[in-house]
Amino acid sequence: VDLPPGVSFAAALSEGAVPILQRSVRYHRPRAPFCGTGACTNCLVRVNGVPNIRGCRYEPVPGDRIDSENAWPSPGHDLLGALDTVFWNGIDSVRGFRRPAFARPLYQWVVRRLAAFGSLPERTGPPPRIPSERIDRDIVVVGGGASGRAAAEQLAAAGAHPLLLDRSPRGGAMEGVEVRLRTTVAILPPPRPGGNRPFDLIAFGDGGEALRIAARRVILATGGYDAGLWFANGDRPGVLTAEGALAFEQPGRKPPFRAGILFGGGPRAAALLARWEDRFDAVVAPGAISPELARKGSELGLPLYPRSLLTRAIGRRRVRAVQIRGRGGGAERRLDTDAVVLAHRRLPNAQLLFQVGARMHWSAHPGAYFPDRSEGATSVPGLLAVGSVAGAPFSSPPTDQLTAVVDRALSDRSWPTEFSGGVPEPPSEFEGYYRELIGRSLPGGGRWTACACEDVGVSEILEAHERGYRGIEVIKRYTGVGTGLCQGRYCIPEALLLLAIQEGRPPSEVGYITQRPPVLPVPLESIAALPDPGEAA
Amino acid sequence: MNAPARGEYRTVVVGSGIVGLFTAYYLARAGAGPILVVDRGFLSGGASGRNGGGVRQQWETPSTIRLAREAVAEYRRFGRTFGTNIWFRQSGYLFLATTEAEKLRLSEVHGAVAREGLPSRLLTPSEVGREVPALSLEGIVGGSFLGSDGTLYPFPAIWGVYEAAQALGVEVRLGVEARGIRKEGDRVAGIVTSSGTIATTAVVNAAGGWSKEFSARCGLEAPNRPTRHEILATEPLKPFLDPMVVRLSDGLYFSQTMRGEIVGGLTVPHAPGTVGGMTSSPAFLIAMARALVGLVPRLRPLRVLRAWSGFYDDTPDGLPIIGEDPRLPGFYQANGFGGHGFMLAPATSKRVAASVLGSASDLDPAEFSPGRFLDPNRPSRPERLQLG
Repeated sequence: VDLPPGVSFAAALSEGAVPILQRSVRYHRPRAPFCGTGACTNCLVRVNGVPNIRGCRYEPVPGDRIDSENAWPSPGHDLLGALDTVFWNGIDSVRGFRRPAFARPLYQWVVRRLAAFGSLPERTGPPPRIPSERIDRDIVVVGGGASGRAAAEQLAAAGAHPLLLDRSPRGGAMEGVEVRLRTTVAILPPPRPGGNRPFDLIAFGDGGEALRIAARRVILATGGYDAGLWFANGDRPGVLTAEGALAFEQPGRKPPFRAGILFGGGPRAAALLARWEDRFDAVVAPGAISPELARKGSELGLPLYPRSLLTRAIGRRRVRAVQIRGRGGGAERRLDTDAVVLAHRRLPNAQLLFQVGARMHWSAHPGAYFPDRSEGATSVPGLLAVGSVAGAPFSSPPTDQLTAVVDRALSDRSWPTEFSGGVPEPPSEFEGYYRELIGRSLPGGGRWTACACEDVGVSEILEAHERGYRGIEVIKRYTGVGTGLCQGRYCIPEALLLLAIQEGRPPSEVGYITQRPPVLPVPLESIAALPDPGEAA
Repeated sequence: MNAPARGEYRTVVVGSGIVGLFTAYYLARAGAGPILVVDRGFLSGGASGRNGGGVRQQWETPSTIRLAREAVAEYRRFGRTFGTNIWFRQSGYLFLATTEAEKLRLSEVHGAVAREGLPSRLLTPSEVGREVPALSLEGIVGGSFLGSDGTLYPFPAIWGVYEAAQALGVEVRLGVEARGIRKEGDRVAGIVTSSGTIATTAVVNAAGGWSKEFSARCGLEAPNRPTRHEILATEPLKPFLDPMVVRLSDGLYFSQTMRGEIVGGLTVPHAPGTVGGMTSSPAFLIAMARALVGLVPRLRPLRVLRAWSGFYDDTPDGLPIIGEDPRLPGFYQANGFGGHGFMLAPATSKRVAASVLGSASDLDPAEFSPGRFLDPNRPSRPERLQLG
């Protein structure tokens, strides 16, 4: 087929609707792009014999062979989709398939073949040479969003020559700043004490290029991401995060829906509505709707549903309608739609902070862990954090945090790395949301997928709790929630809230799963190509 | 919420890993309650929740082969006894030799295993290729294979024994730290914990990588040496690899789990001790990635999903330490498994329980007893196949 150049595979296939590219791992439920950041598993395809390539980021070139995975004959019509009906009550991999003993090898044979998405790579031709590089830099800024760029600009203005790394393909050049795009910092070990450049950042390009950077100061400006949401059939094609929707905005492409529901009541939702004012049919918010959003919505004549629970998506292959319920015992209502865009909650991209061992404090709003928020210092000497990842989204004029971070990055002095713990905060809005939505048992009306990567159900988390297992680390190991390719980005924040409710203690005591390197999956050949430390170019 | 229900127990087990839980389970099954298990961390937080799930019977020492064989039998009936599915898949362990010396070593292992009546086989390089077609045979001079070895999923094994032990009345208290021992005369009279002092006449040290530290807290110098070992998992793939593959030269081991991930590790040197925590290092990731793509070239574009680490609890002779410590009556060692506690626990924990109950043991004290290290002139028959 002819695909427009410079456009992702997923966007190229969207004709006013999200393309169904994948089937889920256990129940073969239809899946379409969801996160738009190359983190989730919903858009995996096989490209030229290499499995599990993100269709939302991969830009096909002429001659590519792109196959679907885990679906036959196609992701749209998959015979094994019957598993979703057969196992309507879930597959119990912890206790099921034990008897009779003689059938065990057969169970194992079948289950092994049903597991996973793609199959063994089958690349034709000689293996590609993976470029690798080892460089030394004084200051490295990780993340090229508004805060990262502002920090880099100020550093350059002060005479420093920062290196700015960003995952995205876009972002213009900056005076005095060395910019590397399509580059993901995947591994950030704790700094080695002593020496001029204690940090050892490991980054990979979109093409697999391996990069190892020794640095004196590291500023993390990794920003935030749009959270997922749990509701019945919440994994249906057509449910996507705000970022997931924005990822379809590419040359010559339109948003993949015509009459979407915008879920969220704050600035993020307002920005989306302003951008695509003719594409939404209603605004539903878990809490209040901000005056700005309400004004815009009324201008467009949209119905507004503040303080509402999103209970269920309706539609067998993709979203056709949703069911909502007013909070505090309000009426049930059905809204016809072709998409649900989640713009209700921004969470910090804090994986590198956890990896490097920075001390983190729970904050009830938005329900996430942050380093010290006021001045962007962290408990790791030489490491700074700025912007949304440090709880202070970019603003103009620059925040005090940005100024403090730039000053400290330039200075050779050390700074205090001990911070008092966070003050006790009231339960977060979303704890109350889930308490009302789920409470002690799960409402019916469809499958409640907790972890879409591994097809783990919310009911499995409740069952593990019921059996006496406590804490997120154990629940993760018991159910598999958070062990998929997205590293728990879209399920662990929700699981923390649900467990806080079930265990009757604050989310900070339920814990957090260890953030294990790499931040996002990295090819073995790229890791193998990494230079050893000390082999300076 | 974590405080133990009673002030006195017949036995207190320190460590809720697979060794401690099995020990508590066997004690409870023998009616030797009340029993308390304490752990300062969470269930599955140590090596029991961090291992690659390999279970093998190919060893150098006959006693270890026998214990492993018994463990395999226990794991085969695990689902019936304990109610959880550990997905124990007996598709073999394939050892690879890359030098003539390693090949000779494998043939010695093969001899020992065959003498115990297990049908292990020595393989030529082309037979190795038939077992796992994706392997590059470059540099491989031979191998050995035993089809009844296999892999299991560690977590449901923990859940199963945890629940079964509790059903027999064992009390498990997580988040409770064991801090030392209270003595009366020269023997154990109680255990000091973060939830207070608890009276007991038997304390079992099943603290895995932290057992040396706990022995020290009880005034005992132990020969154990905790070492950090790293492991990684890749994205899942449809099944292509049946056995666990282990290479003698660098300790590379990997298998494909039921979920399809390649899970494996290899030995990179780390300073001994638990101080550095359970973190992963770039050095390991690089060494492991190079080894894996060298041996299985088709895996080159496969992505690494995550890496983690845990502690092996090594001993000078490579054999675990099992039984009452002669220096402190009432103090029982159940540690020193050198990264193979999960493989052996169903068998060894029976002996630990027997020792607590004062029953006769079939283990040779010269090989397994805590006292063996006190005699500098003792004959030693070490187990050196500490891989995978």
